[in-house]
Amino acid sequence: MIVLHVFRKELLDALRDRRSWAVALVIAFLSGPVVFSVMSRLISDDEARVAERKVMVVAPEQSPTLVNFLLRSGAQVEQAPAEYEAALRAGTLLNAVIVPPIDFESRLALGEVPGVEMVFDDSYTRAIPMIETTRRLLSGFNHELGVLRVFARGVSPQVLEAIEVQNRNLAPAQANGARLLFVIPWVALTIAVFGAYSVAIDTTAGERERGSLEPLLMTPVATRALAAGKWAVVVVYSMAIVALTLMGFLLSMRFISSETFAAQMRLQWREILIFCWVLVPFTAMTSAVNMLAATFGRNFKEAQTYVTYIALAVQSTAVAPVVMSTRDALWQLLVPALAQTAVMMKALRGEPLSPSDMFLPAVTCTAITLLCLGMQARLLRRETIIFGK
Amino acid sequence: MIEVESLAKSFQIGRGANRQTVIAVHDVSFRAEDGCITALLGPNGAGKTTTLRVLSTLVHADRGRVAVGGIDVEAQPEAARASMGTLSDSRGLYGRLTGRENVTYYARLRGMPVALADERLRDLSALLDMASLLDRPTAGFSSGEQMKIALARALIHDPKHIILDEPTNGLDVMSTRALRRLLLALRDRGKCILFSTHIMQEVEALCDRIVVMAQGRSIAEGTAAELREQSGRDTLEDAFVALAMNAATPPRNAGDCA
Repeated sequence: MIVLHVFRKELLDALRDRRSWAVALVIAFLSGPVVFSVMSRLISDDEARVAERKVMVVAPEQSPTLVNFLLRSGAQVEQAPAEYEAALRAGTLLNAVIVPPIDFESRLALGEVPGVEMVFDDSYTRAIPMIETTRRLLSGFNHELGVLRVFARGVSPQVLEAIEVQNRNLAPAQANGARLLFVIPWVALTIAVFGAYSVAIDTTAGERERGSLEPLLMTPVATRALAAGKWAVVVVYSMAIVALTLMGFLLSMRFISSETFAAQMRLQWREILIFCWVLVPFTAMTSAVNMLAATFGRNFKEAQTYVTYIALAVQSTAVAPVVMSTRDALWQLLVPALAQTAVMMKALRGEPLSPSDMFLPAVTCTAITLLCLGMQARLLRRETIIFGK
Repeated sequence: MIEVESLAKSFQIGRGANRQTVIAVHDVSFRAEDGCITALLGPNGAGKTTTLRVLSTLVHADRGRVAVGGIDVEAQPEAARASMGTLSDSRGLYGRLTGRENVTYYARLRGMPVALADERLRDLSALLDMASLLDRPTAGFSSGEQMKIALARALIHDPKHIILDEPTNGLDVMSTRALRRLLLALRDRGKCILFSTHIMQEVEALCDRIVVMAQGRSIAEGTAAELREQSGRDTLEDAFVALAMNAATPPRNAGDCA
C-alpha cells in the first residue's frame, strides 16, 4: 500500500515535469523514423551504385580491349577524375578506379602480363560492394583472356580450372541484410537506459538536492518501500518511452524505400512483442541501476554524470557482437545488453528463439534489479547519503 | 516524554590523509516532559541539530540512550518515527506538487485515512493561516510559505512528540505568532514539544523548560527563572552567555516542568 502511495506521488510529479517529458517523447517517437530512413537510404544508395555497375578507368581510350569487355559485361565505363586519389580518400568517390599502364594494349597484344592497378579506399565500408564489383569484373576479364589464349593453343580451357568453387552460404536467409540491423537493438537499448534518466535522478539525487530526502526518511516508511515505489515509476516511464520507440520502428517499416532492406529484416508485431519481452526486464534493471548510481549524486548534475557512465557501458556492450563475431554463445545470454542485443538480432533475422534466449537474459536482469533495489534501501539509511554535502 | 542520556556523536570528515574526526556531541542529557515546551538553546555549533537528528533516527549515536515515549530509537526506529512529528533544517518541498499534495503525501505515508487527513489539514491551515497556499504548486514559495507547508507536513498525523529545528526561521511576525499559538495549543493538549533555537525572545515567550547547550554538551537545564538564578544574571540572554562561557561546568538540574 505504501509502495502504491509512493508510486502515485512520483508518477504525478514526473508527469508534471512537462519539459523533460516532452523531450523524451519526441526523441522516442523520432528515433525509429530517423534510424530507419538513414539506414534505408544508405542501403538504397549502395544498391543503386552496385546496380549501376559503374567502373572508373583512367584513360579508357588507351585500353579498348578492357573497356570492350566491361561494356559487354553490362558495366558503365567512365573516365576517372584527374584527382581520383584525393576523391577516394575524401570519400567523395567510392568506386574503385582501374589504372591500366599506357602500353596496356601493346603488351596485351604481345601476350605479356601488364600490371593493372586497382585503386580504392575500403575504410569506407559503403565502398566495399562497389570495390568487389570492379574486382569481379577485372577477374572476369582476366579469365576470359586466359581462356581465349589457351584455346588458341589448342588446349582445353578446363585446365585453367583445377577446382570448381561452389558457394553455399550458411547465414540465415535474412542475415545478409541484417548486418546493419544491430543499430535497431542498439537504439532500443539506449532509449531503455536513457529514456527515463531524468526521473531516476529526480527521485534520488533530486530529493537530496531539494532537501526533501531528510523529511521523507523521518516518516516510519521502510526504505525498501520507498525504493520500490520510486523504481516502479522509473520503470513505467522508461517502458512507455521504449514502447513509443518500438511503435516508431514499426510505423517506419512501412515507409522503407530499400526493398532489399525491407525483405531481409523482419519487424512486425511478433518481433515487437519479442522486443518488449526482452526489454521489460532490461528496463527494470537499468532503472534500478540508474537509481542506485544517482543516489550517490549530491545533486542532479553529479548524478547525471554517473548515469551517463552506465549508458555508455550499455551502448558499448551492445555493439560488442559486431566487433567480436561471437554469435550465439551461451554466455552472451548472461551479460546484460549483450544478451538483449543477441536476442533482438535473432528476432530481426527471423531465426527461431530457444527457451534460453527467452528466459536467461530475464533471469540475470531480475537478479541485478533485486540486488540494486536492496542496496538502495540500505543506502538510504546511511548518514553520508542523507547529510552528505 | 523524550529522554536523552549521555549522548555522544562524532563524524568523520575529509578523505585519506585529510580525514578528521569532528565531535559534534560530547555528552548531552536532558528530559522533555509531556505537556511541556522544551527548548534546546545554544549557539551555532553547539550540537543542537545533531541531537535532534539522533532523535529523529537518521543519525546513529556513538554512545548514550535516546528514548521517545519509552521507545528506544536505536532498537525500534520505525515505531519511534511513527510517534514523532519532526521539522528538520531540511525543509524541501516537491515544487511541482501543490501545498495540499505535499502534505497529504506524508499523511498517506503515515497510513492516515483520506478523510482524517483532509480534516486535519483544514485545522492546520486555519491555525497557520495557509489556506491560500494549499492549491498552488510550491515552486516559488517564499521561505515563510515553505516553512508553513513543511510544518503542516510534520504535524499532519497529530504526533504525540513534536521536534522542531529552529521553526521560526524565515517566518514573518504574524506567522511567528500563529506558530506560537499553535505550539501552546498543542502543549495544552499534552503534547511533548522539543525545539531548538538561538532566539531568546522565542524561548522566553514559549518555553516551559530550557536546556542550554554549548560545545556539544548540555550545560544547564531549568525554567528561564531558574537559569537566571543559577547564573546570577537578570536577563535570560545574560544568563545564557554566562552559562555558555562557562561551558566546562557540568549540567545542573533544576525542578520539574511548571
